[in-house]
Amino acid sequence: MSTASIVKTRAGKRIDAWRWGGRIFLVMMLLYTAVPMAWMLLTSIKSGFAAMQLPPQWFPNEPTLASYEKLLDPTNSVGQDFLRFFWNSLFVSTTTTMLAVAVAVPAAYAFSRFDFPGRKFLFFAVLLRNMFPAVIFLVPLFILMRLLGLVNTHGSLILTYLTFGLPLAIWLLKGFYDNIPYQLEQAARIDGATRFQAFFLIVMPLSAPGIIATAIYSFIGAWNEYIFAYTFLNKNEQLTLPVGIQRFFSENTTDFPGLMAASFIMSLPVVVLFLLLQRYFVRALTEGAVKH
Amino acid sequence: MSTFNFGRAIRGGISTAALTSFLMSSPVLAAPPVDLSKWSPEYVRSIAGTKEFDTAADCSKVTPLDYKGRLTFWYQGVFEGDPDLLRQYYKDFFVAFRKTYPNIDLQDQALTYNDLLDKFRTALLGNAGPMMVRLQILGGVEFASKGYLQELKPEDVGYATEDFWPGAMKSNMWKGKTYGIPTNNETMAFIWNADIFKRAGLDPERPPATWDDVVKYSKQIHDKLGIAGYGLVARKNAGNTPYRFLPQLWGYGGGVFDETAQSPTYAKVQINSPASKHALQASYDMYVRDKSVPVSALTNQQADNQPLFLAGQLGMMISHPSDYDVMLDLKKKASGTDVQKAQTVIDNMRYGLIPTGPDGKRAVVFGGSNMHILKPEYVDGGKVDLPAAKALACFWTSPEWSLKMAYAGSNPGNLNGFKTKWMKERLDNIKFLDVTTSMLPYGVPFPTIPETPEIMNIVVPDMLQNALTGALTVDQAADDAAKKIKNIMDGGKL
Repeated sequence: MSTASIVKTRAGKRIDAWRWGGRIFLVMMLLYTAVPMAWMLLTSIKSGFAAMQLPPQWFPNEPTLASYEKLLDPTNSVGQDFLRFFWNSLFVSTTTTMLAVAVAVPAAYAFSRFDFPGRKFLFFAVLLRNMFPAVIFLVPLFILMRLLGLVNTHGSLILTYLTFGLPLAIWLLKGFYDNIPYQLEQAARIDGATRFQAFFLIVMPLSAPGIIATAIYSFIGAWNEYIFAYTFLNKNEQLTLPVGIQRFFSENTTDFPGLMAASFIMSLPVVVLFLLLQRYFVRALTEGAVKH
Repeated sequence: MSTFNFGRAIRGGISTAALTSFLMSSPVLAAPPVDLSKWSPEYVRSIAGTKEFDTAADCSKVTPLDYKGRLTFWYQGVFEGDPDLLRQYYKDFFVAFRKTYPNIDLQDQALTYNDLLDKFRTALLGNAGPMMVRLQILGGVEFASKGYLQELKPEDVGYATEDFWPGAMKSNMWKGKTYGIPTNNETMAFIWNADIFKRAGLDPERPPATWDDVVKYSKQIHDKLGIAGYGLVARKNAGNTPYRFLPQLWGYGGGVFDETAQSPTYAKVQINSPASKHALQASYDMYVRDKSVPVSALTNQQADNQPLFLAGQLGMMISHPSDYDVMLDLKKKASGTDVQKAQTVIDNMRYGLIPTGPDGKRAVVFGGSNMHILKPEYVDGGKVDLPAAKALACFWTSPEWSLKMAYAGSNPGNLNGFKTKWMKERLDNIKFLDVTTSMLPYGVPFPTIPETPEIMNIVVPDMLQNALTGALTVDQAADDAAKKIKNIMDGGKL
């Protein structure tokens, strides 16, 4: 065997070792993220007694869908509350998403295309809000919402979520617009389109992945938010899911199967949304990494 | 079922001093509707079902039944994990109230145990509180001292102060004025698993007599069976922690102040006294030296110990009689072979009196909840509908509903509740109830000072955590807690 081939083989072994190391690491990461989800699902199909067994029943001896039936049955009080919380969350998250996109799209376009006094300052200023922990704003925002008459309304949450979500949405979308050649708009203008038509008919379709990514980001943020919903809402009829599922914890006991079933159902919209639109999300996040 | 004779235990156990201390703590020494000097399981049975009450008729004298109004109300609710029986009574209560007062628009909001105080505090900062609130017993004085609450006494809703436990009334008093009415009162008991005791070589029918025995039994269970012996709880900012540590602290003769004295002054901090350090040392011995309690005790609350106990992985804990109902519910909802397993757990559940200290001192936290009415300026909308609030207070604190709303977990705030037919039914249906009614005279109220929630929920758990994690020695942890309490009492912050 020649010296060159020995070197090549050793290099190949080194590469294989790294490759296998990487694979093992990825499998471990997969287990790390997937096992809690699997455990959540398995606990949700156990009875309350089976969920408390030690050593645990890895797979329930007597699987039951009782917790799901209870949660999804609008004729009992638990189901009524849960479904109401679900719709409240859906309403707040969808409205927040729509408003975030509606405001972020033109704002990001303006930051990308127009040169106006204070542009840089304003662009960084929108991020100022996100430089502090949310809890700092909790009581001031609560007092503000009370003065605006928005406590115990979903409006208080939508407004608050927008203040958090918009800056990042604008940053995300600006990166997208920066990578769409300005010449395309110029061509459209030469062909007789107005500035708005050039934006709406040329730029918007090209920035669809960015808009979708922004929408997913806003939706997930609003869907999972807890501390502001917990503070601003005091009426059962208004509660959103993250706050509503607290009802499975009592002073001295916890309904683990009910909690896990509720958590599983709560995670579904986000998972489905992400699975359907993940390629846009990934594309949006990597857009701008390479200069076109 | 335990062969423990609680009647004999209670008669032998209550010292005259303890009972006198309890009675002397009454703001008004007048005749209560029950004879507290005869208090025993037999006495409780003898008075149960001896008197009829008509709640609607009684409350109509406070607020006419056709009164038209609106009331916002927050309370610690019952939720999915609570026994079905209790949840049904809560549901029935609100149905009955709305039926009795059809023109009062009641907007009730149930909150969880660990959230109520924080959420209420935040709402008050924004002047957006409810008109009425039902708080854990340690909360009332804090809010009364800050000027958030209106004066409210049992006489305002048609009852007498003597209709309620003196210690419970005391928890509503600030600077000689009364700011609330007790809804329910509770004293917990000691619960153990007879099968675990047997397998560990202990008498399955006899609980540890003293706290030193608890340490010893816990070690024996852990050493022989490899499971946790005692359900230590040391989580921060959770009411469960002081409720379980203070009986131990008092049993050893210690205290935060002099709260176990006949006439406490709360003037001298005693959490670093030799007796208090002895109590902390017992927890240290179980957690650090013997490793005989759950390793997760630092973040555990009772809801975390319960699954361990029900799974046969924990030998002893302090708990409510409601745990028995929780177990019955779990069995009812189990299927297949799990039903028999659940029945085995039920068959092995035993309840007994809380252990004593080395000197025979037995004590337990006198817990419960109180109803309060807020001042209008702190209420969302700036108005309080007083007649509507009084109607709800009258209804909930009535003999009938104060009993029913405490059916599975505690005892009625209104002493007349013990005379109702529902109490008789309860004594027949709820196993081990005798034990907690027996513990009532041993109840010691938390210090009735505004700083109590901060001391009990933050400083006491902090002291435990400092000692158990080894951040400080037992002596240092107790001294550190004493320093923090002095600072708080002097108006400082933690």
